[in-house]
Amino acid sequence: MLETLTTDVLPALQVMAASDESDARGIGLLFLLAGPAFYALIYFRYRNSHKRHHHEKETEASTHDMRATDTFVRRLTGLSNRTMRGANHKEVRGALRKIF
Amino acid sequence: MTDIDPRSQHPAPQAATAPPGASAESAVPEAAQDPATLAETIAGLSEPEGPQTIQTDAGAKDGLSKCARCGATDISLNVATGNLRCNFCRHEWQSTNMNEAFGLDQGIGELRGVVMGSGSADIIPSTEVVMTFKCSACGAEVVIDTDHSTQARCHWCRNTLSMNQQIPNGAVPDMVLPFKLPKEEAVRKIAEFVGKRKFYAHKRFRAEFNPENVMGIYLPYMVVDVNARAHFRGQGEHQTRSYTVKVGDRDERRYDADLYDVERAFDLHVNDLTVESSSQRLDQTSSNTNNIINSIMPFDVEHAVQYDSNYLAGFTSERRDTNVERLAPIVHTQSQDIARHQALKTLGHYDRGVRWDAEHVEVVGQRWVSAYLPVWLYSYHEQKSGGRSLLHYVAVNARTGETMGSVPINQTRLLGASAVAQAVGTVLAVVIFLVGG
Repeated sequence: MLETLTTDVLPALQVMAASDESDARGIGLLFLLAGPAFYALIYFRYRNSHKRHHHEKETEASTHDMRATDTFVRRLTGLSNRTMRGANHKEVRGALRKIF
Repeated sequence: MTDIDPRSQHPAPQAATAPPGASAESAVPEAAQDPATLAETIAGLSEPEGPQTIQTDAGAKDGLSKCARCGATDISLNVATGNLRCNFCRHEWQSTNMNEAFGLDQGIGELRGVVMGSGSADIIPSTEVVMTFKCSACGAEVVIDTDHSTQARCHWCRNTLSMNQQIPNGAVPDMVLPFKLPKEEAVRKIAEFVGKRKFYAHKRFRAEFNPENVMGIYLPYMVVDVNARAHFRGQGEHQTRSYTVKVGDRDERRYDADLYDVERAFDLHVNDLTVESSSQRLDQTSSNTNNIINSIMPFDVEHAVQYDSNYLAGFTSERRDTNVERLAPIVHTQSQDIARHQALKTLGHYDRGVRWDAEHVEVVGQRWVSAYLPVWLYSYHEQKSGGRSLLHYVAVNARTGETMGSVPINQTRLLGASAVAQAVGTVLAVVIFLVGG
């Protein structure tokens, strides 16, 4: 195991560190969460407490007489979020199982 | 487009009882001249229009249900063919498909108000759950506990008595979807599912696990068709540029996007939305594993047949104990989810997302049919410290074979492994920080 660490893992880490210092720091922080992440991974794999019927996708449905309006408002620049703030177009509210 | 269907914003009140062309003002004074007509008119005006009922148990009989060829009552489902089979002369036959008999897969767009199968009627609390029938073969009295079955065998003459007529206790639904997956296949699927989750499984569970103990059970559901009008209004963003800027000594990502006002209005037809109709199964919290049974949906309910107790022979059942009134809000919210999801296919341009500020889904018509749907269920009672316990399920959809389960965890082993993972992770993190400077 130690051999694998020195021959494979360390060079890979050095490459990552050299390519982008801030990315390497991020990966380092992720490793600091290895214990809780491993626990959560196994817990959900065994207990499946997050699983539910996806009624919104798995129920047969069709739309008719679709009417759509799309009106340009303005251009936004310099946004820091990769996705729209407050987007709720994929929200699901009718799931019987509430995870949190 | 600019026009949004005004009906979806302002649903018109339904004039249920007034005859065409007659206004309420003119009707009352006329009726006032005749007390009998007045009483009739007032009764007519005050009574809300009830749901339309589809009588699904017409011709159904309680008691001995006999094989048409030999007259035996020992009848059960042949899982391989999906037919009922006489276990005496091996004659097989099929019950009527519900969709063919009642057109349940048609006319969703024409649905108005509430349409219900007679087996979905409200449960009257005073109705007996344990029913007594007189065996017409020998005259003995036979008891059926409808909480778990709608059949019982006469102790004296060994004939099977069936209950097929609907009474308001939720025991006899409109339709039943027969088991299709044989027990051997369910046992194999459960063993495979648990086999992949043994290393961190609880020690006692590993020792006691025996998939042969799986039970075939018909669980109660409501199958609902919904005709709705949906109207969504909000804003969406489409990304036009992505670039990096310098903030102090760090690089940060920035985005430009076009903002749009977005509006969608459409009619929505939902076919066979399925919800649990047992209060026990509806309770899905962290203190139970009912979500496991929920997650093996959907079922191919289009293959459901008219209810016949003989389909339950050799299986158990759970009686429906929930009425449409309690389930209607769940169905409405889930229909709204389906509408939101259906709108997605028109939102491809908005790669940064859409924020709906106003949502309105009006249910114009709905059709409710109660059903028994088949599940292979393995259950395990985990005793925890402090007298607490948790019932774990591994469930197999007995039509599609979809399998899901909850396996009790050996916390000591998992916490130990997590500690090792944390130690390795910490070492790697330190190395990364040292190498990365």
